[in-house]
Amino acid sequence: MTRERSDAMSLGATTDDVLRTIGRPGRAYAAAVAGLLAVLAVAAAAFARQVGTGLGVAGYQPPILWGVYITNFVFWIGITHSGTLISAVLFLFRARWRTGVARASEAMTVFAIMTGALFPIIHLGRPWVFYWLMPYPNARELWVNFRSPIIWDLFAIMTYLTVSVVFLYVGLLPDIATARDRIRDWRRHVYRLLALGWSGSDREWHHYRSLYGLLAALAVPLAVSVHSVVSWDFATTLLPGWHSTIFGPYFVAGAIFSGVAMMITLLAPMRTLLGLERYMQIRHFDNLGKLLVVLSLVMTYAYGMEFFIAWYSGNPFEQGAYWARLTGPYAPLTWTMLACNSAVPLVLIARRVRTNLPALFAVAILVNVGMWLERYVIVVSSLAREFDPANWTGLYDPTWVEWAITAGSFALFGLLFLVFVKLFPPIAMHEIKEQAEAA
Amino acid sequence: MAEGAQRSPANADAAGPDAPLTRTVGRRIFLKVLGSAAPAAAAAACAPLPAEQIIPYVVPPEDVVPGVAAWYATVCGECPAGCGMLVRTREGRAVKVEGNPEHPLNRGALCIRGQAALQGLYNPDRFDGPRRRRRPGGDGPGAGLLEPVAWPAAQQLLVERLQAARAGGGPGRIAVVTPLLTGTLDRLAARWAAAVGARRLRYEPFAHEALRAASRAAFGLDAVPRYDFARPDLVVSFGADFLETWLSPVEHGRAFAEGRRRGGGLRTRLVQLEPRQSLTGAQADEWLALEPGTEGLVAAAMAHAIIAERRVLLPRAELGAAARLFELVRDHAPEQVSGRTGVPAAAIRALARRFADPAAGGGRTLAVGGGVAAGGAAATAVQIMVHLLNHLAGNTGATVAFDAPTGDGPAVPGSWSGAGTYRGLRALAADMEAGAIDVLLLHDVNPVHALPDGAGFAAALANVPTVVSTASCPDESAALADLVLPAHTPLEAWGDAEPAGGVRGLQQPAQRPLHDTRHLGDILLDAGRALGGEVAAALPPAGDFAALLRDEWRAAHAAAGGGDFETFWADAQRRGGAFEPGRTATVALRRAVLEAPLELDPGRGERPFTLVAYPTAHLYDGRGANRAWLQEVPDPLLKTTWSSWAELAPETARALGAEDGQLLHIESDHGAVDATLLVNPHLRPGVVAVPLGQGHTAYGRYASGRGVNAAALLDPRPEEAGGGPRWLGTPVDVAPRAVRRPVPRLQTTFDQDGRGIARAVTLEELAAGGPPAPAEEPFSLYPDQTYPEHRWGMAIDLDACTGCNACVAACYAENNVPVLGAEGMRRGRTMAWLRIERFVEDGPAGPDNRFVPMLCQHCGHAPCESVCPTYATYHTPEGLNAQIYNRCVGTRYCANNCPYKVRRFNWFAPEFPAPLDRQLNPDVTTRTVGVMEKCTFCVQRIREAQDHAQDAGRAPRDGEITPACAQTCAAQAIVFGDLNDPASRVSRLAADRRAYRVLESLNTRPAVTYLRKVRRA
Repeated sequence: MTRERSDAMSLGATTDDVLRTIGRPGRAYAAAVAGLLAVLAVAAAAFARQVGTGLGVAGYQPPILWGVYITNFVFWIGITHSGTLISAVLFLFRARWRTGVARASEAMTVFAIMTGALFPIIHLGRPWVFYWLMPYPNARELWVNFRSPIIWDLFAIMTYLTVSVVFLYVGLLPDIATARDRIRDWRRHVYRLLALGWSGSDREWHHYRSLYGLLAALAVPLAVSVHSVVSWDFATTLLPGWHSTIFGPYFVAGAIFSGVAMMITLLAPMRTLLGLERYMQIRHFDNLGKLLVVLSLVMTYAYGMEFFIAWYSGNPFEQGAYWARLTGPYAPLTWTMLACNSAVPLVLIARRVRTNLPALFAVAILVNVGMWLERYVIVVSSLAREFDPANWTGLYDPTWVEWAITAGSFALFGLLFLVFVKLFPPIAMHEIKEQAEAA
Repeated sequence: MAEGAQRSPANADAAGPDAPLTRTVGRRIFLKVLGSAAPAAAAAACAPLPAEQIIPYVVPPEDVVPGVAAWYATVCGECPAGCGMLVRTREGRAVKVEGNPEHPLNRGALCIRGQAALQGLYNPDRFDGPRRRRRPGGDGPGAGLLEPVAWPAAQQLLVERLQAARAGGGPGRIAVVTPLLTGTLDRLAARWAAAVGARRLRYEPFAHEALRAASRAAFGLDAVPRYDFARPDLVVSFGADFLETWLSPVEHGRAFAEGRRRGGGLRTRLVQLEPRQSLTGAQADEWLALEPGTEGLVAAAMAHAIIAERRVLLPRAELGAAARLFELVRDHAPEQVSGRTGVPAAAIRALARRFADPAAGGGRTLAVGGGVAAGGAAATAVQIMVHLLNHLAGNTGATVAFDAPTGDGPAVPGSWSGAGTYRGLRALAADMEAGAIDVLLLHDVNPVHALPDGAGFAAALANVPTVVSTASCPDESAALADLVLPAHTPLEAWGDAEPAGGVRGLQQPAQRPLHDTRHLGDILLDAGRALGGEVAAALPPAGDFAALLRDEWRAAHAAAGGGDFETFWADAQRRGGAFEPGRTATVALRRAVLEAPLELDPGRGERPFTLVAYPTAHLYDGRGANRAWLQEVPDPLLKTTWSSWAELAPETARALGAEDGQLLHIESDHGAVDATLLVNPHLRPGVVAVPLGQGHTAYGRYASGRGVNAAALLDPRPEEAGGGPRWLGTPVDVAPRAVRRPVPRLQTTFDQDGRGIARAVTLEELAAGGPPAPAEEPFSLYPDQTYPEHRWGMAIDLDACTGCNACVAACYAENNVPVLGAEGMRRGRTMAWLRIERFVEDGPAGPDNRFVPMLCQHCGHAPCESVCPTYATYHTPEGLNAQIYNRCVGTRYCANNCPYKVRRFNWFAPEFPAPLDRQLNPDVTTRTVGVMEKCTFCVQRIREAQDHAQDAGRAPRDGEITPACAQTCAAQAIVFGDLNDPASRVSRLAADRRAYRVLESLNTRPAVTYLRKVRRA
């Protein structure tokens, strides 16, 4: 802690500022947690009903056999990309502005994976035997089918979850140590355990830097791979509207897009509520806004290519599926999605909008909506218009069970995040200090 | 404990709760009570569970071998056609019915209603024993309820009422109404009725009154002819739905397919004229939507053209008849009638030329008229015209034949002659209304629902002091009965049927009666004997109905000079009856028919729309409505389920400003209903078509409260000449209501969007060598499957398939496919492993309907197999795409990746309400909630045949293995076999010029080959 001494006033203030956020929760915090728990309870009841009576309580309308749950799965896995992108990529590129938002985004990644990974299980016909999806030694020598993209998913997501958790944890270590030294209540035991005896020695810092760099370098390709693999759930099938080579990069871009939007959605209120204006500055949001607009353009290109290739292929099934997407029963959703993802973010070209937090927040919310709809449209409208017109069916109409579980997933995500910001410093103190030092 | 369980509850009660515990209880008393109460308590504790006998047979019954099916030949009792049936029983319960291959009528096939006979047997709403109305005539609480009563008391009550009626008012105060029975039971009922002094009526809602009246007028025979659909090159059908409900649909279906399969230019051409396209009309090469009720005019115009163009194909001696006929139809030249009928004169002339073609000779064509489409106010005149038309073309005696009369009685064996008429039933109802009937016995008929004036009949029933019903299931008529004596269902009963000349089907019980029911014959015999006197004298002195049946067969056998009766009887039981070639009668046209002018045009009504109430192949007259399969399997044409509706042509709906799914208020002079509009382009504008058979109020859980009863709208007056109901032509008003109530439908577009799912080839293309042979299989990245022994495959001939759905019901029965009900169907969640897709293209002469039976294609490169994470679906070395239910976790990924969408997911735990669970095939696993299922090619039947072959030390023969769908197909559209064997039928069909595979471009390499439909130009 030699460096701290040289600028004791400012660095100490940083510690105070940040650690204040993990102080005693206020009434608003308790109310928020209670509200989220209530939503979660409803979701749990809905899930219990679904398990008790069968998946029929959801609104599935064959041939639409995947619906809201798979949409949520893809959506949440998409959200995870904020963490790795902001934190790891920007770290590797030494983009210093990441400091204020890196921690929160890494946490978001972990919680979004945890939330998203529930959905493949919720969506099962027999969720109680979900572990059959994992290869484990058993007396009957039953093995999983490695040709199935669901198995690839399992591996990709598990790996991604592991690396993300380690990445978050390693980045937290110096701050946990600080908390251990400063916090006197019961939590200090937890921090002592978690700090792994961090003492801040040069050797530790040296190891820390190389490990963090290594993890960042590992996380980036994983982030790309995990959503590519998720996209293969669709791309490797025969279904028109799913069967497309563009899906890998398209899904990754979409994931980052939605991840950045979700980050803005979370950070903007957090900044105000936790009083972190000093650390999460407008320039951070300005940069996130730039990222959003660029990604929106990438998405627009991807949409354009999807439709163009469908037309250019001369394949009547492809053409039919995409034409139905634009004009069929799901057309309103498609157009809303296009408006949210391709048109609305263009306002962020104006710096004035990017630096206006409420405006930026509103755009981010719309992008979240748009990206959820994008997944919904891909999953549902493609199934609704597949090869054989005899099976074309009416509008898939999700039931309260599906909506409750969807709301529950947001509640779970929010809850995990709320608990996190009360237990751990939501901003990387040590990095702020490091930068202050360097400046 | 075991002893206690077998003791009857009565014992338990005797020793039970009233034992003297209230007084001072001494030690001895206490022990006594304890000793007597303990087994009683034990017995009482066991009461909720039915006592089951689990003791193995010491001497097992000969035909019950656990694990081995016993088959019984019997007669189908679902309609009067009298098809032969084989019942597969396992451990003493019927689990499957199939057509009897030895029966000359249906030759192994069954229709969808035949397949669903099991659900009549196991219907969960059946009466489990006799019932009597509590305090008849009273109006206190519970006065309307039917309460259980024991058989002796019930039978005694019947006898008392009969005695009272006989003593009270002389003869004719008792009436017996049965459906059209034939054979021993019919003769017994007739004898009984005569002895008791009762009126006897054989009532069928579709009794073909007009056709019989026309035969009377034209040939002097009260008979329905037998039509040959296999021979003619041209069939002209005036609304006869001969593949659905008309006369003997399975027999016709078989013959029609044979006629079409003759190859080359001989393929039967079907021209159907009707206001609403029926399923039969959907097979037509030429479909003409004529103005309802004008069939006779078109027939007359054809006759006019034939005679005017000197194409009459009659012997010289009969040419005079043609000249006289011309006088009758002088005013009906094609040009004169085309305006009224809506059929272009040129079309009529062309049709007439084809119909009577001197180059081809006589007897090469066939005209049929009937069904409700020819059931208007001029129905008899239409049928006479059709008879005359056939006569002109030399078809009488060739494609139209009458069974020769057998010695005794006026009846000819062509069973229909014995049937009553609607007018006869109306007369009975009038007498009932007037209080002239004291006891009415209703057996297996439901006039309250099926009659046009059902409400009137119900009111008349109220004036009959004693209404006795022998319905096995509650229905609207039984609900008004004072005494219900439930009879066996046909699968539990002895009997025989003589549906056609030379055909005597023997009906055997396939299992013990499920409930406390009796045979109608035994009810009559016992009642008659109890009445004593001349009644008892007229009946056999002893023995039950089964004995009587045997005696009659013995007598007939002796009369025919046969050999040993026991051998004959055993043979009849095994074969399902005694079948001889029928003899046909020579008939001559009666002069009188050519002299009376025919009123062929009933004219139009006051109201702007014309009602067509039509029966469906699923529900017939409504008796099918309590069979869940018949409700769940979608309508063959409109793909609707669990409902009824009202159809309008698109232009009519537009003019009314009504949209599909909207409620329509339909009103006639006789009633009004609200039904959901379905826009049907294959309907004459200005016509409202409503299916019959729904709208039940008291017909059990599956039927009650569904749709509307179209019969309530009909004009109740009998048709003038024939005395039948007027199914067609009631004028109605139609007004859309601002309520949407869409009916559940499983297919909503019939346009295949140019995707080549259902393909066709024209006769010319076929003659020129057919479509190009399928190219080499495209390259695949996946390694090819190897099939060391067999590769099971299927070939489906779209030219033969009529879309009748019999295979779908057979699949439900064979494979324990669950039923989900209307709400499930609203979400499209059918569990059917096999469905019939219907596509309609524009044809040169009317719509070109194509029906595609779609089932698991058992792909060589199955898209479902690669995506399953748990290997729950995999490829067997015999080419089956197998599904392991226990290993399935329910990702539904396989179904998403299946381009044919034939995989079904269990959204809920399947339910088979008792006793429907007894129908479950023990050879097929029932599935649980959350797993995927689909067609297995009836793997259990494959294994069974393989086992039999192995026992015989040989390989299974081609044709030995038939899945349930192929087995029941009247048209024999489905062929199953080994694709590894180049000589097998399926291999040869797979290489046929018409062969193609659905969605071939996806390179899934299906094991199912489709053969293109053949169309004209």
